Amino acid sequence: MADVVLKDIRKQFGATEIIRGVDLTVDEGEFAVFVGPSGCGKSTLLRMISGLEDVSSGELHIGGRRMNDVQAAKRGVGMVFQSYALYPHLNVRDNMGFGLKVRKVPVDERDRRVREAAATLKLDALLDRYPRQLSGGQRQRVAIGRAIVGSPDVFLFDEPLSNLDAELRVHMRSEIAALHNRLKTTMIYVTHDQIEAMTLADKIVVLRDGLVEQIGSPRDLYEKPNNVFVAQFIGSPRMNLLPAAEAKLISPTHALPASAVSVGVRPEHLRVVEPTTDSLSATVTLNEYTGAVTLMHVELPGGQTCLVVDDKRDMPPIGTRIGLTADKDNLHFFDADGRAVS
Amino acid sequence: MDLSRPETTARNDRAPWLTLKTREMLEAWLFVSPTVIGFLIFFLGPLVAVVYFSMTEWNLLSQKATFVGLDNFNDTLFKNPDFWHVVRNSVVFAIGLVPLNMALALTLALALSRPFFGVVFFRTVFFAPVITSAIAWAIVWKFLLQGEGGVINQMLALVGITGPNWLREPNWAMAAVIVTRVIKMVGLNMILYIAALQAVPRDYEEAARLEGASRWQVFTMVIWPLLAPTTLVILVITTIGSFKVFDHIYQMTGGGPENGTLVLAFYIYQQGFKFFNVGYAAALAMIMFVIVMALTLIQVWIRRRGTQ
Ligand SMILES: Nc1ncnc2c1ncn2[C@@H]1O[C@H](COP(=O)(O)OP(=O)(O)OP(=O)(O)O)[C@@H](O)[C@H]1O
Ligand SMILES: [Mg+2]
Repeated sequence: MADVVLKDIRKQFGATEIIRGVDLTVDEGEFAVFVGPSGCGKSTLLRMISGLEDVSSGELHIGGRRMNDVQAAKRGVGMVFQSYALYPHLNVRDNMGFGLKVRKVPVDERDRRVREAAATLKLDALLDRYPRQLSGGQRQRVAIGRAIVGSPDVFLFDEPLSNLDAELRVHMRSEIAALHNRLKTTMIYVTHDQIEAMTLADKIVVLRDGLVEQIGSPRDLYEKPNNVFVAQFIGSPRMNLLPAAEAKLISPTHALPASAVSVGVRPEHLRVVEPTTDSLSATVTLNEYTGAVTLMHVELPGGQTCLVVDDKRDMPPIGTRIGLTADKDNLHFFDADGRAVS
Repeated sequence: MDLSRPETTARNDRAPWLTLKTREMLEAWLFVSPTVIGFLIFFLGPLVAVVYFSMTEWNLLSQKATFVGLDNFNDTLFKNPDFWHVVRNSVVFAIGLVPLNMALALTLALALSRPFFGVVFFRTVFFAPVITSAIAWAIVWKFLLQGEGGVINQMLALVGITGPNWLREPNWAMAAVIVTRVIKMVGLNMILYIAALQAVPRDYEEAARLEGASRWQVFTMVIWPLLAPTTLVILVITTIGSFKVFDHIYQMTGGGPENGTLVLAFYIYQQGFKFFNVGYAAALAMIMFVIVMALTLIQVWIRRRGTQ
């Protein structure tokens, strides 16, 4: 078990700087998730922590030890690859025991630890199978098992669920959460799926273009996003962004902050009311019924479109003029640079 | 008119002259016919002819072929000491060439499978001999390997070694044809190994490194097992190639000295086109075919057992 501390970490590939100064502390036993759009540098950052990629500048500490120049194998990290990286010529037992074998751990201890990990992950019955004889979810579990066998201080996951279908993803997500609960080891998890981030994380790190946009608990990020990017990245469907002037109509009692140029309100926080002068008037353009909720697309007089999520079955039909309101606590204001203001 | 029963029913019910299946079959045959016809004329035809010739006594000069059954085989296997000497030469050639070629090919491939500045240049350098004319290659080496005044011996002289007359002493001649053949052909196997190495996902190596494997362990425990199918293919084609070596021997040593490099393919050529014993040469060719086939099957069988 160990904490992970990054101080002004940077990474250059040739002339281009991919990671542009990241400061971050992941506490011992914490589950941290890196999210961000494709190409923002999540994998690169994770690989720098693992030692597969060297650090161009900055300081990397794991468990209090400076790791910049320590070999990957000696950092006490275990990694689960997106591709699983299971060796096709080895069965599950040998795949899981590979790390112990190369480290010359005696056969009986190796066997014991492999069986222990297999029991944790319900892989007992599969030990003699080859990767090609496993389903996607089972391969995924073997990949995790392989990391567990080495009993690392820090687990690193790079989009481990992205090759699974939606249902299995939800299932494996809960298994990983359960695993963290049981092992209480520090975990760093990369994903671009914000639902995964929200459900798994103690701490979410939102990255964009090699910079940290915000670090916080899922609730912090949802309720108090620092800026427009985080506001729209976290939460699904994404937050509506309207000119600040509309705020008066959505929530008449609210005082507009001086520097606010835009107001954000989440689709699930908008309520449909009769059109009146002190509500935001809109016209329904589309209803998407999903079962649990309905996604209603509306058009504002200014031409912007806006999304409303409601759990009522009967939404006003297309073409209806409606009013929209929200509680003032659910409004987010942003200045001209996209920074949150209150 | 009853609209619920369209008039076209009758027409649809009649079986068309060409069903879709027949038409597809015809098309398929049409597309493969150039290859099939080529195969029949240039491969299967001669093969059948050789089988027949091998059971005749036919001197090309006399223009007369007499059927003699298995006499040619009987003569070769039991009455001709030259034959066993030739087989021994072929085996020595193969045992010298195949491991050397494969080890060198793999070493080069490991060095040249990852991009670095100049990698294309090096790959080209090692592959170029493969596509040069074997005759030209052999002539150049014959020249370099001359006993007196040959470039190789001059270089050896610089470090105080008196080189042998390479192509005039049986053992040295064999070594010389093996090594020069390896240098010529190694590029082909190198390319096959490079392709196989590049198909190994990078994650495999990274995962192993992260778990503490040394480079050597990554190679022996991950890369080498994954290369097994390629290694088998290379083993088979290189072995077959070494049994078929002809032009190289023809140009460099002509089978000499003292028949020291007289290998099977060259012996077949000698019998058929120098001494005009076509029937006998055909029988030798059949024997070579059986040997090569047997070696291939053994290799495939070993591989099968290895994966179980
Ligand atoms: N070895 C490399 N050489 C040069 N550029 C690289 C290298 N590895 C990554 N990059 C670049 O660094 C940037 C970040 O890549 P990275 O793989 O970290 O993104 P990511 O956030 O993991 O994206 P994704 O969600 O698509 O996996 C990309 O623009 C990528 O092109
Ligand atoms: Mg990535």
